[in-house]
Amino acid sequence: MKELRLDQIEKTYSKTAANKTESFGLRSIDLTIREGEFFSLLGPSGCGKTTLLKLAAGLLEPDSGKVWYGNSDLTATPPEARRFSMVFQQPLLFPHMTVADNTAFGLKMQKVGKKERLEKAEAMLDGVGLKGFYHRFPDELSGGQQQRVALARALVANPRVLLMDEPFSALDPGLREEMRELLGRIQKELGVTILFVTHDRDEAFELSDRIGIMRDGRLLQVGAGTELYEKPVSTEIAAFLGIKNIILGNIGEGRFVSADGAITMDVKNGEPEGERFLILRPEALQVADGNIQVPGDAIRIKGHVLKVKFLQGFYTAIVQAGNHELECQLFRGQSEQLEAGQQVEVFFSQCDVRFVME
Amino acid sequence: MWQKSKPYLLLLPATGTIVLLFFGGLFDGLLKSMGYFPAIGEVGFSFDAYTDLWNSSSFWSSLGLTFRVAFLSSIISGLLGGVLAISLFMLHNSGKNKGAGLWHRVFQLPLTIPHLVGAYVIVLLFMQSGLFSKLFASMGLIDTISDFPVLVNDPFGWGIILTYAWKEAPFVSLMVYPVLMRIHGSWRDASRVFGANNRQFIREIALPVMMPSWTIAVFIVFVFTFSAFEVPFLLGVTYPNMLSVHSYQLYTSGTLADRPEALAINLVLSGLTVILGLIVYYFSKRWNVLKGWQ
Repeated sequence: MKELRLDQIEKTYSKTAANKTESFGLRSIDLTIREGEFFSLLGPSGCGKTTLLKLAAGLLEPDSGKVWYGNSDLTATPPEARRFSMVFQQPLLFPHMTVADNTAFGLKMQKVGKKERLEKAEAMLDGVGLKGFYHRFPDELSGGQQQRVALARALVANPRVLLMDEPFSALDPGLREEMRELLGRIQKELGVTILFVTHDRDEAFELSDRIGIMRDGRLLQVGAGTELYEKPVSTEIAAFLGIKNIILGNIGEGRFVSADGAITMDVKNGEPEGERFLILRPEALQVADGNIQVPGDAIRIKGHVLKVKFLQGFYTAIVQAGNHELECQLFRGQSEQLEAGQQVEVFFSQCDVRFVME
Repeated sequence: MWQKSKPYLLLLPATGTIVLLFFGGLFDGLLKSMGYFPAIGEVGFSFDAYTDLWNSSSFWSSLGLTFRVAFLSSIISGLLGGVLAISLFMLHNSGKNKGAGLWHRVFQLPLTIPHLVGAYVIVLLFMQSGLFSKLFASMGLIDTISDFPVLVNDPFGWGIILTYAWKEAPFVSLMVYPVLMRIHGSWRDASRVFGANNRQFIREIALPVMMPSWTIAVFIVFVFTFSAFEVPFLLGVTYPNMLSVHSYQLYTSGTLADRPEALAINLVLSGLTVILGLIVYYFSKRWNVLKGWQ
């Protein structure tokens, strides 16, 4: 298997007089991207994901660690010899070249003959929906079309790994959605290995086979989207993925008791004792009303409604329970019955509970 | 009405002076070149001066020399200036901004030196008794200083060409460097991941981007050297001499009868300069393909 492997990669940027930003470093990153996989690096701005991408591309040199492709050590190989491709945040098309010439640029560097490379470029442009645009110049295209050309340019070079640095972040939401669908389709068709950088959770979850979550130069957790969301290994990850129900408490003698004593529950055998955070996904928490049958083993919490929110098709209630403001998702009918100040009982199932240490 | 015409009226003294001196002089020269010269009793019009020029072997020798010197000066300064600009650009791109800035200032130094001083510098460096010949002789590369090639006051015009190449190369780089600096910093990264090394980046990206402004800069140097006077006067030979010098010598020859011919040379020079200017304009329009800069 030809996999891309980042082995104990470290990179530090020191604080200098000229650059008044704080020093920053990637700390001992280990990561393997399998052949044909769509892997996303997800994290907030400044967490080091673009730095890691540039290290993989060879545009930056690591302070320590190795970059492998299969059994080849690429650490000292310059980017032009790695046979990777990259799509940047901006299209970065060359303005003096036509769309076809821009697309064929990588093939030209690989010394593919003019006729063959232009045929391949035009076929790839057809594939990204730009049939007939071959002889236009970049400034005659919209932003979305330019990014399609950038994608075609990257794909037509038949890269061993395609690196993508927030390629859709400069596009408007509709276009972004369209580009995601296009990329997902093309990736499946061509089976190209993709390392994708984004700070957009939806983008990462929609496209990726696996996701690596980064923060402050560290790779916190790697896994499939559902795994990360349902089994985050820390409160940091849960919070980044939008889970707000994080409750500090203690496990002892088979029971979890929240710090304020408002939430208590039995825990499964084998759950280690000590200070723990309880993580509850909003969709796992439901408001009990006459229409819903509450399972016998459900854990119930009493509280009152602070507010009901509507966001892009989802209704959410914020319920005050003890010192905690719990977010729970509602059914459409429920949202109409609830109002601020109303006493309610919320419940969740034992199997939806996740305990983490930090 | 007053508000609209006020700026033009305020500019009138300046434009009037320019029009009077420039176009007045040109018109006077045109009249005299066509034989209208009341000072020597000639009030008729003829193309005798132009016919004489056409039949004069010294005119054609001078025109040939002028074209050769202007062509070689502009090409050499263009090549030097282009290499300078690309070197500075690559130095800047390699992250050594401070070094690039310093070298940029150093390379601009010849721009501050007048042409006459530049010509003297070339004389002092390249004449047979100059610094380089002595240096070469002391290093044993040549036996005596007279073995050093004649590069100053030579019939080919090497002294003039060297002076203009040295003086105008920074001008070309000054015209080209800002254009190169407009190249998106990430283009280098983009070209590298697609397999382009430094040489390919220069050939595929930097050269096409700089070519329009480089061509215009070289044309400007050509037009300038084509009609320049002081350096050819100082570093040229008696025969053949460049057209500007030839015209000056005819004009100051002591007989007023030569003046129509001298002025005809100037008008030929002006006409050729206008034609070259139109060529520059044509190419600048045609090569205006740098659209879509971000």
